[in-house]
Amino acid sequence: MAGIGFELRKLLSKESYASLFQAYAYAGIISSGPWILSIVGIMVIGLLSVTVVVPAYQVVQFQVSVTYIMVTSLVLTGTVQLAFTRFIADRLYEKKDGLVLPNFNGLMLIVMAVSGVLGMAAVLLLFPQESDAYRILLLSAFVIMCCIWVATLFLSGMKQYKEIVWLFALGYAITVVAALVLRKGGLEGLLLGFVIGHFVLLTGMITLTLRNYPSDRFIAFDFVRSGAMYPTLMVTGLFYNLGVWADKLLFWYFPDTGQDVIGPLRASLIYDLPVFLAYLAIIPGMAVFLVRIETDFVEYFHKFYNSVREGGSLDFIEQMRDEMVFTIRQALFEIIKIQSIAVLVVFVAGPTLLRLAGISELYLSLLYVDVVAAGLQVVLLGLLNIFFYLDKRAYVMFLTALFLILNLGLTAVTLQLGAAFYGYGFAVALLITVFVAMRLLEHKLARLEYETFMLQ
Amino acid sequence: MAAPGMATKAAADERRADSADVALLLEGTFPYVAGGVSSWVNQIIRGFPDLRFAVIFIGSRSSDYGAIKYALPDNVVHLENHYLHDYIDSTVIEELPGDRGLFDKVDRMHEYFRAPLSHPESAGLFTELSDQLGSSLDHRQFLYSGEAWEFIRKMYRRFCTDPSFVDYFWTVRTMHTPIWVLSGIADRLLPVRVFHTISTGYAGFLGALCKRRHGKPLILSEHGIYTKERKIDLFSAQWIADNRTVFQRDTTEVSYFRQMWIRFFEALGRACYDASDSIIALYETNRLRQVADGADPARTRNIPNGINLPAFAALRPLRPAATPPVLCLIGRVVPIKDVKTFVRAMRTVVNRLPEAEAWIAGPEDEDKSYAEECHNLVEGLGLTGKVKFLGFQKLPNLLPKIGLVVLSSISEALPLVLLEGYAAGVPAVSTDVGSCRQLIYGLDEEDKALGASGRVVGIADPQGLAEAAIELLSDQDKWNAAARAGMARVEKYYAQDRMFASYREVYESALSTPPSGSPEAAPATACPHRD
Repeated sequence: MAGIGFELRKLLSKESYASLFQAYAYAGIISSGPWILSIVGIMVIGLLSVTVVVPAYQVVQFQVSVTYIMVTSLVLTGTVQLAFTRFIADRLYEKKDGLVLPNFNGLMLIVMAVSGVLGMAAVLLLFPQESDAYRILLLSAFVIMCCIWVATLFLSGMKQYKEIVWLFALGYAITVVAALVLRKGGLEGLLLGFVIGHFVLLTGMITLTLRNYPSDRFIAFDFVRSGAMYPTLMVTGLFYNLGVWADKLLFWYFPDTGQDVIGPLRASLIYDLPVFLAYLAIIPGMAVFLVRIETDFVEYFHKFYNSVREGGSLDFIEQMRDEMVFTIRQALFEIIKIQSIAVLVVFVAGPTLLRLAGISELYLSLLYVDVVAAGLQVVLLGLLNIFFYLDKRAYVMFLTALFLILNLGLTAVTLQLGAAFYGYGFAVALLITVFVAMRLLEHKLARLEYETFMLQ
Repeated sequence: MAAPGMATKAAADERRADSADVALLLEGTFPYVAGGVSSWVNQIIRGFPDLRFAVIFIGSRSSDYGAIKYALPDNVVHLENHYLHDYIDSTVIEELPGDRGLFDKVDRMHEYFRAPLSHPESAGLFTELSDQLGSSLDHRQFLYSGEAWEFIRKMYRRFCTDPSFVDYFWTVRTMHTPIWVLSGIADRLLPVRVFHTISTGYAGFLGALCKRRHGKPLILSEHGIYTKERKIDLFSAQWIADNRTVFQRDTTEVSYFRQMWIRFFEALGRACYDASDSIIALYETNRLRQVADGADPARTRNIPNGINLPAFAALRPLRPAATPPVLCLIGRVVPIKDVKTFVRAMRTVVNRLPEAEAWIAGPEDEDKSYAEECHNLVEGLGLTGKVKFLGFQKLPNLLPKIGLVVLSSISEALPLVLLEGYAAGVPAVSTDVGSCRQLIYGLDEEDKALGASGRVVGIADPQGLAEAAIELLSDQDKWNAAARAGMARVEKYYAQDRMFASYREVYESALSTPPSGSPEAAPATACPHRD
């Protein structure tokens, strides 16, 4: 989220508690807005539909279908997410702004084709018992969602954070309204509402893009040339998204913890809700992380490289390095402090929340573990972001691979060990990955000047 | 490693042999640059037809040099060209730990080069470390190792007064890279029996490395003093960064990077002096300067340039009975010759000897505005018709018609025109620069006993110059004495045959020296083609 730092610094420069709060709120909305809106939107649709018209199982089928669309679209577009963002950043750095839009259109076309073919194969082969309407809507939703992620990453690359949040808010408002209007149509009605809302969201994003970034060419495929996108970034994007979802997938498909919902799609009643609650609890952590990294860290990061380039003294260069280390330490401490508060809140409110959701309080410990784990995920995200700043792509790839493997392996082990251990797989996987990442970062920062001067 | 695969025009000139007697290490001179030193090299090669020479040319960039300027004598059996700035770094970046012990020695070697007299115990470190340039202290160690980084940081903190670390870092890198290029050249050199470098600097440093690698004697002949000339260049070089602010800058203090470059060339010179078996200067002032720069006096000696005596002696019968009252400055019309002082002196001379004339024999196209100023000065002083600009003249036509050879230069080394004048029977008046005092009054007692072959005057002293010229031209006895002393001096000390004899002695003693110094005394396997 480079570039957001400028707006945050502007807010922080007023030096009042109100502006500090404003900065954190801004950062929280920017960093977490889209997925909070999507989680909340889907939950609202469920809550408002369930008792009125639609049978409860159809609401669950709708929510699970949407969840799968989210997961599969994120994993699929995850391969280009980082690599294409970097491609755009490099072109902008070269002042070749005109190349950005045609390549965005090219990527959009490819993603549409690939997601269309894969989605078509999936609905044809995996959902033979479902209605044609459901299958068509599922396919449409999948392709639209993939396109939305691509458009989101383009607009983020263009630093249109506020616009993204507004478009998501608009899209989900329409989704909720349309779904409620069409809920008489049951599962298909709800899904049609989802498709309509997201189509509007996508259309809005594309309109914004085309209007703001005119180009003399409509479409280009420079990004597919060999060397245009970093393979390490493609692999990293895939690993990260798979890693984040690995434990959930295992819980869905493990016989003791998952249930069939629709076609081949399964869900885990006991695991899913605590995890989603936990993700809501990390919003403050995300906000803090964004503010600290994008303002303090980036400031010293730039000072460091400027002093290297423009002839600073060695003392000054090393001082800037130390300041970078200090701001990272500060940011991590603040994330931990804020997340501790979030954890305490969940500890207090947890029993009530579970009771409301109709989940046995036996799974309270799972919720607690998940909140801690989600907090660690924020820390990991922060560390990966710092490695990206330092252009250590190989480190990030290694860490995401480690996270994926650990999450798969440890979650599988906890499933065997029994209900008392649920959630620990995800948490311990993150704990180990964060620990390794911090050791790597420590090592890397200790010799930053050596590498900067001698090995580049 | 000098630009592998680069097809240059110079590559076509190269010659290859499996071995040679003498390797001449030439930096920026023969055969690609014309000039005094190059002519001398040419003279030496032709003077020893029985020796087989290998010419190792070291240049900056191949594009800086045109076609070969001399017909290569047949006894140049080998010619290879290397360009330090065309060097393409082919090492792969990799993280290396580096050897702490070695870098400690490097540190002590730098201390020695900074102040040789206070660290005599470290004098041998250069030879020791130069053996490792291809292994544990190779270019990769310098570029990438953690110890090298620590070393650079340490030196920056200890010494650097310029704030910019990045400039310091790249100055260190750029400056030292030729060391490994030269080390590679030394490793791949064909087997020879003697190394002969015609300067210190890079070529001299290569000589020091070659001596260590191959265990053969090293001869150093210096015409100018390389380190001093480099220093003059560096003081005016614009490409050296100076990042001090107005407040930090002390105008009496040279920018740190200039100091670094100067010390670097001093160290190269020092390494060459330490390694040379025989250190030859053109004249005594330079020899003393070499000693001051660290050359062991026992290994130094003077071998002056020699002239072709019979050719000039043949001009003596052509001279008229009465000495022509003509003062002649033979040289280019450029500021370093200080032609204006000569013109000003002529005003006094003509006042006292109305029949006297001044001739200026040399091309005027090198510094046209200076030449014009000289013409204007002649007019301004009312000397039109008395001071004549002759342009370039052939000496055999000129020398019989003049009465004095005059040099008003502010800098000279060993000016051959004085010797050529002596040989033709003409005494000289010269400023006190370079070897002129030695050439006119004699060096040792025996030489001095020959008498003064003219007069030495101060720099930019028209009155003194005029008085000296009038003294000689108005007193035939004094003039005759000076002319006789000149003829005797040039015959005794500055004949070409004498120079060849001295060099033959140097070569023969070097060629008969048993191999020494190197652990691997046998010559490295010949590498007939580069890369």
